[in-house]
Amino acid sequence: MNDKLTSLWQRLFGDSVRAFGVVSLIFLASLAIAPAKNFFSEWRHYQHGYLKMVRNRSDANTLQRHFQGGIQQVWLPELGVVDRCTSCHVGLKEASLTDVPTQPFRTHPAIPHKIEQFGCTVCHRGQGAATTLTEAHNSTLAWEQPILPAKYIESACGQCHRGSLPGTPQLNQGRNLLSRDGCVHCHTVKLPDGTIMKATDDPPSLSHIADKTSREWVYAWLKDPQAYASTSTMPNFKLSDDDARDMSAFLIANSTPLAGDTATLTAKASSDPAAGASLYGESFCASCHAVQNAAGNMVGGDVGPELTRVGSKVKPEWLQAWLRNPRTYDPGTAMPHYRLNDGQVATLSGFLLAKADSDLLANVHLEAATPEQITHGKRLVSDYGCASCHEIAGIKKPENFAPELSRIGSKPVTQLVFLPGMQHTLPDYIATKIKQPRSFGQGLKMPQYTFTPAQIDSLTTALLALNDRSNTLPASLAVGATPESDYQPAGKAGKLMTDLACFSCHRINGHGGDMAPDLTWEGSSVQREWLVQFFKNPGTLRPSLIRRMPRFNLTDGEVNELTDYIMTVYQNPVIDRESMPLSGYSQGQVELGKQLFYGKYSCQGCHIVDTKTDKGYIGPTLTHVGSRLSGAWVYQWMKNPQALRPGTAEPNRAMSDEDARALTAFLISQKGAAAKEVAKK
Amino acid sequence: MADSKDFTAGVDSNAKKSPRRIVFITRRTSAQVKAETEDQTQTFPEVLFRAAVAVMTLAVVLVWISLMFNAPLEGLADPSHTPNPAKAPWYFLGLQEMLHYFPPVVAGVMVPGLVVMALIVIPYFKVNIEAEGLFLKDRQKRLRIFYVVATALSVFLLLFKVYAALVPTLIMAAVMLVAAQSSPQSPSAFRRYLAARPLSYWVMTWFLFELVVLTAIGTFFRGPGWSWVLPWQG
Amino acid sequence: MAKTGMTKTMNQYFDDLRGTRVWRSIFRSGTGSSTLKRALAIQQNVFLHLFSTKVRTRMLSLSATWYLGTLTLGTFLILIATGIPLMFYYHPSAPQAYADTKDLQFVVSSGLFLRNLHRWSAHAMVFLVFAHMFKVFYRGAYRTPREFNWVIGVILLLMTLLLSYTGYLLPWDQLAYWAITVGSNIASAVPVVGEKIHFLLLGGNAVNANALLRFYVLHCMILPLTAMFFVAIHFWRIRKDGGLYSHASEPATQRANANPGVVANAKEAQ
Repeated sequence: MNDKLTSLWQRLFGDSVRAFGVVSLIFLASLAIAPAKNFFSEWRHYQHGYLKMVRNRSDANTLQRHFQGGIQQVWLPELGVVDRCTSCHVGLKEASLTDVPTQPFRTHPAIPHKIEQFGCTVCHRGQGAATTLTEAHNSTLAWEQPILPAKYIESACGQCHRGSLPGTPQLNQGRNLLSRDGCVHCHTVKLPDGTIMKATDDPPSLSHIADKTSREWVYAWLKDPQAYASTSTMPNFKLSDDDARDMSAFLIANSTPLAGDTATLTAKASSDPAAGASLYGESFCASCHAVQNAAGNMVGGDVGPELTRVGSKVKPEWLQAWLRNPRTYDPGTAMPHYRLNDGQVATLSGFLLAKADSDLLANVHLEAATPEQITHGKRLVSDYGCASCHEIAGIKKPENFAPELSRIGSKPVTQLVFLPGMQHTLPDYIATKIKQPRSFGQGLKMPQYTFTPAQIDSLTTALLALNDRSNTLPASLAVGATPESDYQPAGKAGKLMTDLACFSCHRINGHGGDMAPDLTWEGSSVQREWLVQFFKNPGTLRPSLIRRMPRFNLTDGEVNELTDYIMTVYQNPVIDRESMPLSGYSQGQVELGKQLFYGKYSCQGCHIVDTKTDKGYIGPTLTHVGSRLSGAWVYQWMKNPQALRPGTAEPNRAMSDEDARALTAFLISQKGAAAKEVAKK
Repeated sequence: MADSKDFTAGVDSNAKKSPRRIVFITRRTSAQVKAETEDQTQTFPEVLFRAAVAVMTLAVVLVWISLMFNAPLEGLADPSHTPNPAKAPWYFLGLQEMLHYFPPVVAGVMVPGLVVMALIVIPYFKVNIEAEGLFLKDRQKRLRIFYVVATALSVFLLLFKVYAALVPTLIMAAVMLVAAQSSPQSPSAFRRYLAARPLSYWVMTWFLFELVVLTAIGTFFRGPGWSWVLPWQG
Repeated sequence: MAKTGMTKTMNQYFDDLRGTRVWRSIFRSGTGSSTLKRALAIQQNVFLHLFSTKVRTRMLSLSATWYLGTLTLGTFLILIATGIPLMFYYHPSAPQAYADTKDLQFVVSSGLFLRNLHRWSAHAMVFLVFAHMFKVFYRGAYRTPREFNWVIGVILLLMTLLLSYTGYLLPWDQLAYWAITVGSNIASAVPVVGEKIHFLLLGGNAVNANALLRFYVLHCMILPLTAMFFVAIHFWRIRKDGGLYSHASEPATQRANANPGVVANAKEAQ
């Protein structure tokens, strides 16, 4: 054996010429592996697989004709896109390939954009230039951003679309949460258009908190806000007992009384639950405030704080003063100034104070605060950045309290610290950071929020949209959001509207909430008589809504003031009241309109004209539309509803003038038994 | 050769002088070369083929390495994101490791400058690898000098907390101590070998040892913030 | 012995080839395998004449040199051979350079292989140059009359480091960028002129597109040509300084030294 080996060695390497020959052959053979390796590349393998799969299909001919071999790429220099994904994902554009069970051959779901316009990685991330599976999809040394998990895909839309889109509910919700749950109080978010994201919540000022509540409640609240109100957006700072004690001591000691706030009880709180409930309902408090019912469900809106245990919180004197005029305590509050009389205040305060939870403060026993505790409490209040959200006398709102998030969606993974067992990806990091911020280390200040998993996904989606690409986008691609204007109505009526907090629910000239209809063209839209009646006794227009216009108990003077202002100022220049009078239509026209309503346009799908037969609950009820709207408005609305109210659900049916006129005639004739019926409801 | 001038045909036994190739032969003298004759091989083809075989063997190895391992390529250069740690190419990591301990002027300029200078002057200073063993002559005096130098160096490294360089220095010093205690007649081949090592050998070996250790530490044992990490701990 | 027969035939073919008019017009040494002709084959070739016509047989053994110098030359040749095709695909501009590197990796046929081979050979060359230097030192092969060749060797060591260092930046990735930033910052530490040197090296105050272009020109033109120049001198000096080093410390002589008398003589000679 050994001899054999020796002789073989001699034969191959016996002299230098032989050795040269043999080594040359080995060298050439080794070199030849490189092109061979190239030939058996992954993308060729997938293209062969595609052709094999296609062969057995009925539409094989078409698919084969469409197929192009070799490396394919989408090259978009202005976007920095070189996407070769289509080298393996061959069938993306083949509509017939929806039934292919696995990638890479399935067709792409229908989207509003073309692959040639944006490529793939703009939305999906990953390394577009790569032609191997691992490099293209995974996070590698050369490319850190892996394919974006499908559940965050809406973040891609948010890179260009800065406003909300009907197709991206998750992104919209995430953006909403960012500003509504106070994230942007601490974290600066500079939007790509240069503006700073503003918070839409209104955390109360703590400068006069002793007027409103007790130190015990403050302590319990600081320890666990959700124990008081499960829907509270106040996060849990996981304070120790001592820290909560000192902070409550400081806040109460720091509070100064406000004139008119601690007014003595002018009316004894009434304890008539039925009357209270009825007033609570009539005032539509539930449009903004939620209360947890016996079954544990939240009933009511989320504009104002939850009232389930309000009786354990507020001092009766303060509550009454607040109900009488909330603007004394908080001039900027979203709460309207109801014109309640003493009796109503007594009834309502009694009803609310009864909503107490004796367990909440049962175990809270605080000694009188020492000066050391107060000093320590002040330091804690500054350290935790309480003043980022709340106004606190003597403490300035901290600047740059938390890291800026303007480009968080492009944060390099190498700069992140992960928890053990966590996936090392940016979306996982963001989601976990939102879910359990304190688990990332000792001494971190970010408090614990109570987001649902869906909300965390939404927030992550919205944050991922804040990335380098969204900031460096060619201007032509950016689709701006409609900016919130700072419109303020003028004069006496304007003051009245602020007092009634109209803008908490209504939007006018780009300013205000979205709970109730946009009133920008209200003057062109409605009839004056109806508006007067509506202010005095608001009924519902949309049966499917729980949130309704409350009754403010306005005086006739106030009603006139408001009505005059609305009817003269909120006019749409296109609408000419004279062109479509409220009467004088021929019976034929009305009849034609009726046929169109039930026939050609099937309006009864969403609207109700005849309460007995129609079942449409999506749009407003139209039984009295003839005594509510102006004819010109109805006509223009038929022609192009989006022009009057962008984003309305009413479809644009591209009606002819005749059809629109006939329908207007029909609708204007629907004057119903008007006011009486509404009042009953 | 009409000229009858005499030339001395010389044989010089000093091997360090330039090689003697040409002998002028006159009628009255004959060449006499006393140097040991050595087997020689023709460069063409034997040496050339051997060289080619060597180069191609290396090429085969490199080709296979290239087929199996991809050259590193990271993300696009981004001045705003500094990786932690930012490392120089491996052959400069010894230097970068030194920069961790000493001010840049020392570690980045003086040390490499001195090393290059030292390398250049080596042949001109009669640094003789075949000189006598360091401790064979003037043993006591040389030992004293050795103690002073070794202690000074160690204290210096200790002061700057350069443990990475201190450990190899101490190991070298220990080996040199063994060498000092060894005689050329020692029965152990290793002791005989150590005893015969001259100063230049020790200095160069110390340098090589430090170079290898510092480069290895810089390459494998340094993590974020140039902190000490173990290569197998991610 | 069929193999030998075949080799002989091949030798005959080779001899015939060397006898042709075309061959003889190209190579000056002519046919024949006599010692003279073999010597001429070296002497009469512009490249080979840098080498001696004969080498001490002892120096051919692996232990004598480990062929480290030869292997270093080998890596240099591989680097030239792979570097030129790489240049075809490369634009020295930021960030195009990075995109080109990506294209080499993913689109160019065997581009990844070319780049790998270039990269690994470059590392191998740096390593081999160091190894070569230490081997030469421990053999004492730097002594008279080879002092200057040692100095050229040190220059070549620096050239190799510079070649590798300038090439390191060219992919324009994070690794390259920061390695060069760290490395070039050391230059700033030079007293008085440090900042000037740093600026001159990078063509700016930081690593940027100017530095990339500068490093590209250095890496592909200036340094390789300079290195070739010094390599030629290095080889030529080996020949002129008495061939590959052979000295008393080498195995053959050491065996002779086992005789104490010879040692005495050698000492006397020194």
